[in-house]
Parts: sequence; structure tokens; C-alpha cells
Amino acid sequence: MEITKEAVVGTLESSDAMIQIAPCGEIDITISSSVGAQFKEAIEKVIQDTLEEFKIKKAKIVVKDKGALDCVLRARMITAITRSTNEKIEWKQLI
Amino acid sequence: MSNYNSYTIRKIELKPQGGNIKNIKKFLEKNDLEISHDILFFITIEKNEDIIACGGISEGGIIKCVAIDKKERGKGLVLKLMTELIYIGYDLGYTELFLYTKPENEKMFKACGFTKIETVPGLVVLMENTQNGLLNYCKKLKENSKNIKGKKIGSIVLNTNPFTLGHQYLIEKSASECDWVHVFIVKEDASYFSYRDRFNLVAEGVKHIKNITLHEGSRYIISRATFPTYFLKDEDVVEKSYLELDLKIFRRFIGPALRITHRFVGSEPFSGVTNQYNEAMKYWLEKDDSNYPKITVEIKERKLLQDIPISASRVRELYFKGDVENIKKLVPKVTYEYLRNRNNNTNKQQWK
Repeated sequence: MEITKEAVVGTLESSDAMIQIAPCGEIDITISSSVGAQFKEAIEKVIQDTLEEFKIKKAKIVVKDKGALDCVLRARMITAITRSTNEKIEWKQLI
Repeated sequence: MSNYNSYTIRKIELKPQGGNIKNIKKFLEKNDLEISHDILFFITIEKNEDIIACGGISEGGIIKCVAIDKKERGKGLVLKLMTELIYIGYDLGYTELFLYTKPENEKMFKACGFTKIETVPGLVVLMENTQNGLLNYCKKLKENSKNIKGKKIGSIVLNTNPFTLGHQYLIEKSASECDWVHVFIVKEDASYFSYRDRFNLVAEGVKHIKNITLHEGSRYIISRATFPTYFLKDEDVVEKSYLELDLKIFRRFIGPALRITHRFVGSEPFSGVTNQYNEAMKYWLEKDDSNYPKITVEIKERKLLQDIPISASRVRELYFKGDVENIKKLVPKVTYEYLRNRNNNTNKQQWK
């Protein structure tokens, strides 16, 4: 899947994450997190897994995490991806 | 309008209609802030119909006038506020936002994902919504200029609205005195002539000079972010802190990235803003500061035509009068052709 436009999802509030996504020549992930010391790797893994799931090879992702659970991060990532692509989403496969 | 617990969050558009901002003004005053005139939207958070927090976003994607009632601090209101403002920024097409705030609030905005660019101690700090945006920009400059050799490296920042023989002369003269010269064209589309047109005219008009690099402008050099009052035409007096921010960024980041030793500028007999900028430049670029290399400022006398300095404002004046023939003596051929071909009936009123 190809990221063709910029998008932002989520909020900066506690237990959530704001994810900004944009077209880019490579995979470029920046994470800032209020719980980064303990969970930065875990957060990165969710991001990477979601990108792989959607077969995304190029994207700039900026995550501002406020202690979001993995399921929240994943949900935010999926929304970010669907908003930033012009391709048709197969919702059935996502559920 | 949306309800969030007992809060009401409102989005208020100021331009072009000019919304009702009396209450916002009052609230900002209570928090020692003045309203900024270039704000497009305000977000307010109200509790029992009283504003308890607000923040604005201006053209260029700059967040300012952020205030939170003293009694309501520490409850995460700033996170709600910034979330809304970031979304408005995206709606307006600004995905990389800047923020002005007082230095004591730096930590609070760090928690919103903003990083510091530069500070005027005690007065203001400029932050950006990307990590290392400025550093990455400088890295690119450095990478692209690594093959440039020489000791005397000049720099010129120009708006060229439009490109005149005066600009061309300044670039030629500087290039003749330096090993290399970096020329930046102010990127904001706040001038009568568009950035693309201004850039293309310069590119064409400096083709014969071999030892220069013509750079795309950036938001870190005389932009609405670093120097907002430059673009507010009515104000002839420049807020000193903005000059300081803009020039500190140039000296501490952009200068070292390109190994700039000199900055050239034309003498300014007309514009008060540019004059103040030239004065401030001498101070901030040359002043003793052992941490950052000094950049020598050289003010070059403007090229004259019949004893009157050539300036872009004079060209614009003639242009609006429809006096294209007299412009011919003031601008390079490429600008003349451009002006002659341009439909000069549009938007004339904008520049008065």
C-alpha cells in the first residue's frame, strides 16, 4: 500500500497517541513518549507490525504517545494509514 | 462546538469575517498576553461560559496566544488545546507547526511533542512540532555544500519583490569578493509577486555568476515563523525579540552548516523594517559569542539610477502606475519581460 498524503489521527491526551503520517522515500519513524523509557521498543514494534501488515515500504511516521495501550496504537495506526492513502481499503480483512 | 466533560471547546474563525474576540482579548490580557493580528483561528475552552484556556494559529502555521487560567493548570487542558490546534493546522495545510511561548512554558509544550528552536531569554521561545526539523535542514545544507572550498563564504538573504538591478548588483559584487556565496530567497508567499516567480527571476538573472548557490528559502530564514512582523505591512516598528530569534538561528545553525563567514546586505534608505533588521544583524551576527563563529556583516551601498537608489518598492510603484517603460532601467531584462507579460490588473489594491 502506498502513502500518498499527509494525515493526523489521535489526540495528545493521556492513554492516547497522536500519529502523524506523510509520504517519504523510506520508512522514517520518530517516537516521543511519556513512557518512552519503558515502552519505546514495544511502541515501535506495534508501528512496524502495522506497516508490515499493510505492506507499506515508504512512510514518515511521527508518534506522540501518552501511554496508549497496544490496541489503541494499532487502531490509531490503521486509521492513519487509511486516511493517508487513496487505495481502497479491504475492511473485511481488517476485522 | 463540542462538550468534553463539563468543558465546551469552541473553534472561532477570525479571518476573513473577524469573529467576536472581545472575551478572548480580555482573557489574554489577564494572562499578560496581547492578541496577535495575524491569527486565523482561535480554540477556546470554556467552563460555565467563562474562557479557561485559549490558543490561536496564524498564517504560516504558527501557534501563539496560548493561555491557561491559573486555577485550571495541571489538568491537561493544554493537551486538548494543542490537539485541536494541530488538527486545524492540518486542515489549513500546515503539517509542520511552530509555536511561540514564554520560556517558562517550554516544558509544558515539550509534553505536546514540540522541541525548542531558539530562545530570547526571559521573553520568548520558538518551538517546532517536529523533532530535529531545524537540525535536519542544516544537515541537508551541509551535505549539499560539502564540495564548496574556500575561506571567505558569503551569504545573502533576499525577498526580491521583484528582482531588480540592485539585487543583481549586490549578488555580483559579493560574489566577486568571496570564494563562494549562498543566496536565499525568502520563501513566504506574502509578497506581491509569488515565491516561485521571484525565485525563477533570480535564477535566470544570476546564471552568469559561477561561484554562487541559489537556495530555496526555508521556514528558518526570515519566515512568518522566525520573523512575523516582517510580513505585517502596517507595522513599521519591529518587535526586537523576533529580530533576535531570526538572527540567532542564522548564526548558530545555518551559518555553521554552510561555513558562512560573511553576510551581505544592501543599504536601506526606504524601509524602516529592513533598516532595523540591518542594524540588528550587525549586533547578533558579529557580537562576541565564543560558542558560535562570527559572521561579518557588510552593508553595500545601493546601486543608484540618476541619484536615486534602485529598490523593489520603486519598481512596484511604477508597475502599479502602469509605467513599464521606466521600470526597464531598474530591472534585469528577465524581470522586465516578466512584468510586461504579466496581467497587471489583478490585486493592485493589495499594495497600498
